[in-house]
Amino acid sequence: MGNKKAVGLDIGSQTTKVVVLDGNNILASSIVLSGDDTESSAKAAVEKALKEAKLEFDDNLYITATGIGAKSISFSQQQKGITTCLARGVHYLLPSVQLAIDIGAESSTVIKVNERGRLSDYATHDKCASGTGIFLQQMAKLMQMSPEDMSQHSFTAKRRADITNTCAVFAESEVISHVHRVPPTPKEEIIAGLFYGVVSRIMTLCKRVGIKKDVAVVGGVALSKGLVHIFEEEFGFGVLVPETPQIVAAVGAAVISKESIEKGPAV
Amino acid sequence: MITSEDRRTKISSIVRACRLISKMNPPRPELQKSEALYYELLASYYKRLLQAQEKGDFIAAHTVFFPSEVLYAMGIVPMHTETTTWTMALFLGDQAEILSAGAELGLVPEICSPHRGLAGAFYLKSLPRPNVMLWSNLVCDNTAKSGELLMELNDCPGFFLDRPFQRSKDEIDYLVGEIKQMINFLEKQSGKKMDWDKLSEFVARMDEHIKLMQEINELRKAVPSPFPFQGYLKLLTIDYLFPGQPEATEYLKTLRDELADMVKNGKGAVADERFRIMTLFVPPMYLTGFLEKIFQEYGAVSVVEPLFTLWMESGLDPSNPLESVAKKSFLIPESRGMYGPLKQQSLDEIVQSAKDYKVDGAMYWAFIGCRHTCATIKLVKDTLNEVDVPMLTVDCDLVDPTINPKEEIREKIERFFELLEER
Repeated sequence: MGNKKAVGLDIGSQTTKVVVLDGNNILASSIVLSGDDTESSAKAAVEKALKEAKLEFDDNLYITATGIGAKSISFSQQQKGITTCLARGVHYLLPSVQLAIDIGAESSTVIKVNERGRLSDYATHDKCASGTGIFLQQMAKLMQMSPEDMSQHSFTAKRRADITNTCAVFAESEVISHVHRVPPTPKEEIIAGLFYGVVSRIMTLCKRVGIKKDVAVVGGVALSKGLVHIFEEEFGFGVLVPETPQIVAAVGAAVISKESIEKGPAV
Repeated sequence: MITSEDRRTKISSIVRACRLISKMNPPRPELQKSEALYYELLASYYKRLLQAQEKGDFIAAHTVFFPSEVLYAMGIVPMHTETTTWTMALFLGDQAEILSAGAELGLVPEICSPHRGLAGAFYLKSLPRPNVMLWSNLVCDNTAKSGELLMELNDCPGFFLDRPFQRSKDEIDYLVGEIKQMINFLEKQSGKKMDWDKLSEFVARMDEHIKLMQEINELRKAVPSPFPFQGYLKLLTIDYLFPGQPEATEYLKTLRDELADMVKNGKGAVADERFRIMTLFVPPMYLTGFLEKIFQEYGAVSVVEPLFTLWMESGLDPSNPLESVAKKSFLIPESRGMYGPLKQQSLDEIVQSAKDYKVDGAMYWAFIGCRHTCATIKLVKDTLNEVDVPMLTVDCDLVDPTINPKEEIREKIERFFELLEER
């Protein structure tokens, strides 16, 4: 029992993330694209992380799965909600954080973490793509640039174009209209407007659960420094971003696995 | 073309469904008698409506919270419109058809779905045509706008009962005046006279019903709590359809005695009670069974519903029946959140009930069509957070399943139970 390795598996709509813990240290992690077959891509992600950790896919693992389709994974020992895992993961990586914003591919979630690293409240925006990674990816395609270039361009904007924050489809039409204006709205202003739309939408979720320092931004979208900068402008203070923001929920799932190993089997 | 035979079949189907369910074994044998009684009552309500339609008796359609005890005292057959809509949705799965008909009338999804549905049902002539339409702002703001359309659709006369926001002697007097005018209107339309002795008898019994519901609520404070998740819906329905009626007394007494036995024997509504939940506003009616199952899976039980079943005050006076009918409209738990300002007293009562019922967490069912109630979410959440009770808000609709997929609702509830477990 003592040698069991704690594994966290986070199945996102776009990528599947795995973290392997050895005691309190992250031994390995992996990020693979989520395929149509959830079980296969989850297995591939676990195998990749285990390979990096030089471990075998055997009975000596304790796997906690979270995210979309976590319940359908046959090889996990337990499933936990994404909010619970995010809280544990954020507390593990950044213990001072009390409010974390997770912007994933298809949803945005704001969580409040208590001093014990437990989830104390949360709010989710899941009714429209306009506050999510997929939306920003589509906008990058529309603007014919990479997400990284978008992020860079946003820093040079002198002002933000007005773009609706309530509907991804309308936002897309507005971007097209800005591009075709005479004279066209500068690209950086459109991007800054898009980022602001996402941020302002998520700020309402933050206000709903209550803003408390420190604040972290996690999830794949946290890699966009331009967007994170707008969050900082809106909060009026700096926010924390973990080194690999995509794996936070997987870290949390691994922490929960570790706790379950320590607790031992249920009597 | 919908024939009168089709209309008969819709209501007949509700009667048949009630009878079928009452014959089935309820999930908890301890509540077998009250369960059977409940479905018999529901069947009898719609059977009476069917018979009235066949015999040409005077039918008054009325919106939710309307004082239908007045109709019973006049020998007029009541048809509770919203309850009939959600009963059709619950038992017959007919909501798509009636909501779509409501949309044809220009009623958008943001409008209260029971009202969209009932407008659609009348438009499709799926319900018996009433002789009069009665509606009110008591205690819901949506109903105030609904009646005229329903009157037009049914091509019948109608009466709007205006209930003031605040409770004071002057305002109760005003409401008494309104009820008197309504009685005059009904006497003229139906040719039936008000039986004041009967009304007094019903008022006395309504007071008894309030006390019985208070007793039931007291029993629900027990750990484990004996009342199943969907029980609240039955308490609502009994109060809506049978105010002051002897059959409601029988049901409430039977239920009280069964719950008392359960408490005495230490039996809870769920096998292993883990989470005691405060339910705010009403969960989707069409998901009642689905939600009951999730609650059972997680050992959760709804112990108190401050906006629907928590009666604080009784004291209706049979010697002043009209004043008592008016007074009851200020006592009903719904008046806390659905009509007029949300008072500090209401927030205090919510907090006190969280303590009294040993609540672990609260679920606010944010019915998108009830915007005036949804406006209170932040206030209620902040107030409950002050006493360390977390609150989940679930966007939903009472009748329309297209607003929020049930799997999404399940996930939100599961996450919330995890949060409670973590604490």
